[in-house]
This record gives sequence, C-alpha cells and structure tokens, in this order.
Amino acid sequence: MTHVALKDVTFAYDERPVLRHLTFALERGEFVGIVGPNGSGKSTLIDLIDGLQKPSSGEVLVSDRPTGAYRRLEMAREVALVPQHFDLGFDLSVREVVEMGSYCRDKDAVQCGDAGMTLARLGAAELEPRPFTELSGGERQLVVLAQALMQQAPLLLLDEPASALDVSHQLHLFDLLRELNRDGLTVLCILHDLNLALHYFDKLLVLSEGEVAAFGPPDDVLRPEIVEAVYGVRAYLHRHAGRTYLTFSPRLRGERKGRIHLVCGGGTGAGLMRELVDAGYDVSAGVLNALDTDEETGRELGLHMAVEAPFSPVGDEAHAENLELMRAADLVVVTAVPVSHGNARNLEAAREALAGGTPVWALDGLLENDFAGATEGLAGAGVRFFPDEAALTAAVAERRAAPAASVGLMGSAASEPPPKT
Amino acid sequence: MTSRARRIGRLGIALAVAIFAACLLLSLALGPVSLSPAKLVGYLTAGPGAGGPGNTIFWDIRLPRVLLAFIVGASLSVAGVILQDLFLNPLTDPYVTGVSSGAALGATFGIVLHLAPLPWMTLLALAGGFATLGAVWVVARRRGRIDIYVLLLAGVTISYFVTAVISVLMIRAGQDMDAIIYWLLGSFNGRSWPEVEVALFALPFLAVPLFFTREMNILLQGEKRALELGVDVERAKRVLLFTAAALTAIAVSVSGVIGFVGLVVPHIVRLMVGPGHQPVLPIALLGGAAMMGIADLLSRTMVAPSELPVGVVTTFVGAPLFVYLLRRRRSGS
Repeated sequence: MTHVALKDVTFAYDERPVLRHLTFALERGEFVGIVGPNGSGKSTLIDLIDGLQKPSSGEVLVSDRPTGAYRRLEMAREVALVPQHFDLGFDLSVREVVEMGSYCRDKDAVQCGDAGMTLARLGAAELEPRPFTELSGGERQLVVLAQALMQQAPLLLLDEPASALDVSHQLHLFDLLRELNRDGLTVLCILHDLNLALHYFDKLLVLSEGEVAAFGPPDDVLRPEIVEAVYGVRAYLHRHAGRTYLTFSPRLRGERKGRIHLVCGGGTGAGLMRELVDAGYDVSAGVLNALDTDEETGRELGLHMAVEAPFSPVGDEAHAENLELMRAADLVVVTAVPVSHGNARNLEAAREALAGGTPVWALDGLLENDFAGATEGLAGAGVRFFPDEAALTAAVAERRAAPAASVGLMGSAASEPPPKT
Repeated sequence: MTSRARRIGRLGIALAVAIFAACLLLSLALGPVSLSPAKLVGYLTAGPGAGGPGNTIFWDIRLPRVLLAFIVGASLSVAGVILQDLFLNPLTDPYVTGVSSGAALGATFGIVLHLAPLPWMTLLALAGGFATLGAVWVVARRRGRIDIYVLLLAGVTISYFVTAVISVLMIRAGQDMDAIIYWLLGSFNGRSWPEVEVALFALPFLAVPLFFTREMNILLQGEKRALELGVDVERAKRVLLFTAAALTAIAVSVSGVIGFVGLVVPHIVRLMVGPGHQPVLPIALLGGAAMMGIADLLSRTMVAPSELPVGVVTTFVGAPLFVYLLRRRRSGS
C-alpha cells in the first residue's frame, strides 16, 4: 500500500529550483535511505513530505491525501520528523523534552505514550531525569528520536541523524531504526555515509541536483558509475568479509598527471597503487598472479595489468604484455617484492625499460628479499633507490612539480595507454 | 514534567502567592499615613464613603493606586515572558515591539493638546500603542506568516522613529515638557478608580497565555520544530503577540513607561523554577505584581512627602536582586 507519493513535484525557493519533477512512491513498512551530495535537495524533500513546504507544482500525497489538506496537528499524527539540528537553550529535563512529542496526541489518552517507556525502548531510560542541555550529542539524538516517537506516527523521517555520532552510536541508532521498522514503522532517512546506506537500508533514493538519480535496492543503486556521476569522485567497490564496501578518491580523471608502472606482488604494491591513483596518475602493474593481493587491489582500482595464472611463473605472453605496459609508462617503480625464479623476469623487464630510457625507481627492501639474484647490479645500472614508500612518493610529487623534471613524467603524459586486455 | 520539576513548580507558586499577599498587605498598610491591619479590615468591611479621613485615604487613594500598580506589574511581566520566549531572546522586554513608544506618543499628544488625562490621554495612548502594533504587524507579515525577527527589528526601528517624534514634540512643548518627562518616566501618582477601570481590561489578557503553556514550551525549540510537532504556530504567535501588545498598551496608557519589571521578573522566575511555562507564567504574574507594588510603596515613602518616579525604584530594586540571583546560580551549578 502506498504510504507516500510524489507526483511530478517541483519546488523552488524564490526562483531557484531545488527539486525538479520528482516522482516516486514509498510503500508502507519500507526502510528507505536518501543519499546525495550537499545541496541536492534532500532536506527539502523531507520538509515537503512533512508538509512544512508546499510544492511549487505537482502533488505530495501522504496516506493518499495531499499534504496541503492536513492541519499541523493531523500531520503530526501522521508524520514524525527527526530534525538535523536541534537547539534548546533552555534548561528543560529530558522527560519534559520527550513529552513535548505527545502534543498532537493529547486528547486520546490511550495513544499517548509514556516518556519513560519510550526512552527505555531506545535503551536510554537512565537519561529521563537529566537536564537536556547536559547531554552529549549521541544522547541528544536519542532524546529527539524519543520525542518524535511520542507522536505515534506511522511514518518516521530523519534528517542526517547519524552525522554527529561516533561509530558505536551510529550503529546503535541504525539498529534501533531497523527494529522500529520491523515493528511496522515506515522509515525514510537522509544520511551521508554511503557504506552505512549500503548495509542498512532496503532501498535507497539517490538525489542529484534536485532529481532522482536512482531509486532501488542499495546494490543496484550505489554502483561506482552512479556514485561517480552524482558525487564527482572516483568510487571503488571492494568485497571484504562477505560485505561490499565503497571507497573513494578525489576526482582527477582526465587530469592525466602521467603513467607509472608498478612491479610488485604479495601486497607490497597495494598501498602505492592506491596512493598514486588518488594522486591522479594512470597506474599499471605487472606481472602479477591472479588472486594475488596486489592483483585484487589493482582490479578493484581498475588498473591496466599484465596478469599470469595463479601460482605460475611469468610466461612469455604476460612478459610481453608487461614490457608493453612499461614502454607506455613514464616511470617504473619496483616495490620491496620478494623475488624468486617465478617473477625474476619482471626485473629483467625493468632493466629493459631502463635501457630504453624509462627511469626505474625501487625501494631498498627489494635487495633484501631477492632469492634469485635478480637484483645484482641494479644500482650500478642507474636505478634510483629509496628507503621507504613515503620518500618515493615524495620524489614522484617533486619530479612532477619541478619544471626540469618534465622530461620523463610530463613530457609523454599525453601518450595513450594501450588497450586493456 | 518530572515530579521534581512539578514539585518545584508547585512550591514556587505557593511561595509566589505568599509573597504576593504579603506585598499587597504592606502596600495597602504603609504610606505617608500608615494604616494598621485591623484598620484595613475595618475600612474594607465598612465600604467606601463610610466617613473618616482614614477611610477616604484607603478607598480613594491607597486601594486604587495599589490595585493599579499590581495590575500593571503583572501585565508587564507576563508580556515580558511571552516576548522573551517568542523571540528566543533574553534581552527582550515588553517595549521592543514599539507598542510602548506608540502609546507614549499618544499620551504626549494628549499633554501637548492639554486634553484631560481621562479619558482622552488614555485613549490616545491606547490608540497609539495599537496603531504601532498594526504597523509592525504589517511590516512583519509575509505570505500569511509573521516573521518574528522582522517583527523585532521593525518594532525597534519604529520605536526610534516614534521617540524622535516625541522629542520634537517635547522641544516644541515649552512648559509642558516637565509633564511629558514625568509621564514618560512612569508613575502611579494621582491615579485612581478611572485608571483602574481601564486597567481591568488587562485581566482577560493575563489569563490568555495560561491556555498556551504547552505551545509556549514547545516553541522554545524554535518555530520549525513546533510545526513538526503539530503546533499551529501562526495561530499561537498571533494570539500571544496580540496579548503581549495589549497588556503593554494598557499598562503604558495608565502608568507611563515603567522599565525593568518586564525584563527582569521573567528571568528571576526562570532562574528559580526553570523554563517550563506551567509554573513560570502564574509565578511571573504574581511576582511582577508584587514587585511593582513594593516599588510603588518605596516610591511614595522613601522621600515622602515628595515621590521618586516608580521606574527609578524598579531599577534600583531589580538590578541588584537580579545580579545576586545570577551570581548565586553560577556558583550553585
């Protein structure tokens, strides 16, 4: 049964449109999150559903009745809202604050819940006698939620209830919301943390510049390409411990700072990969074995990679591909990867790149983990060594910043990467 | 309300009633001519016109003056509670709406035109007060809503404007200037039953906010939150603003502009019983009346047979008391 319906709703403050032609419906008992960048109209949407704002055009229906047809008292019985900001400069006790929520229920005593019981339901019974002004942010949020629950309304709207909370309070709050939803409440909640949105809600509504960018189950809605389009950042999906997580980098796509090829493996390159990608470089890697930690990270980050079958030495085909990737790079970086006969060809490839004029940088640790004697004479051949990753990345940044250094990194920065295979 | 807050509230109301009664008795008994409690009872039971100088003093001078002071004190302090909480601004007093300035302008016209204090000066003062309210209301009204901040600014601005007009009138007034200054300072000197009859119109307005205590409590969280919780905010604002303005206009029209009571009594009450309106409103009503009664008593006895303007006394009494309570509260918490 439809609980809330928006039909072609447009809303503008003065002349500036905030929401444009919004159409969507919420079923009774649904548990829906709203996400979207700042200024995308999330709070306005909630105000429209609560009838605090009237749509400039279109129609907002709550329980099949236009919001404009409700008196405030009736609306408070139908919709409860937990606001983003809650200020109270006066020294009222928690009980008094919570009891204000029952204002709209005053006359039907049966439905008028008890403040103490409502607080207890949220696991916050001990707050009851305390002055509201002395509470911490997390405790206040629970008290305001209790106030809203006193309205006994079947629809609960929340405007970023978790943004001021630490992780334990956040999880506690969302568990509570889930529980309230199981008890029959329809919940519509604005939040900023996309990973919480991904894990807690049945459905997500993504708002972008006042329009619905996506609406549906979280896994369908929070795909990296949608997140990138809406937020303007790079997004990566990772699977870990049976769950899906999103991580983000500032958007630098198209900036093309240059190409760096990594010789790594066994997790020695994962950190550098992410750091260089975040810094705006096109990163390639190889040769890596499939299912290797670095290979998985590279795949999640969408890198160009030369990949060999699991637990197999580097074959000819992968080696050739690796050489090609290195030729396209402005710099080759070798991590402190343990070198055995299986991957010794990667260092041969690096020598070849060096001979071809591409600078090769490496970490000191490489020499310590060489079990194949493949690193001999590297320093003499012109490979520059760094004590740790920090020193290396600092040198990468410096190289780009100094105009004289344009020879390698910036000069060929525009060269196209080879097609990914 | 917690049982503790409720207990403090009840205790506060009982205490306020006791103080109110004591102050009423003192104000009636003391003066240039002191009357013993036994005599007071005698005059009360004998009724007016029973003869004797004591009876005449009591019925024609003392009683109406005391009643007037009590009603004006109650009106200003209730108006103060309403406006401080509607504006969510602790520095607000009943005079920020500009209503008192408008009333003062009306009275000043009355003085300059040598009209009789009653009914003309009082009527002009009332008319001036409500006209100002109307002007401020129109400025602050936008799309059917009263913008409380615009109202505050408009009130202050119109106050300045009206005060400038009064200054011009005073300069042009010549020998009437003294009368205007004395009126502006506020006094109960020479007021009698006709003024009391005007002041009685304040009584229903004193009762109005008692029916809005829940709405006023919820409005402490701001207008938006009050709307979310189901309060008809515009209706509450309209009723409460008009009530505060009417109380102020009536008080000013019979007594002039008496400062400090409307600012400080609400604070004193909140410091003692907390911000909940169920106890604050009745206690502020009784306390404001008692404070004004005592201030008037001091104004007519301290430098007898001459008088101090009562507004000076309210400030002398109220300011140190307020500072003491502020300090005590800080050290207590």
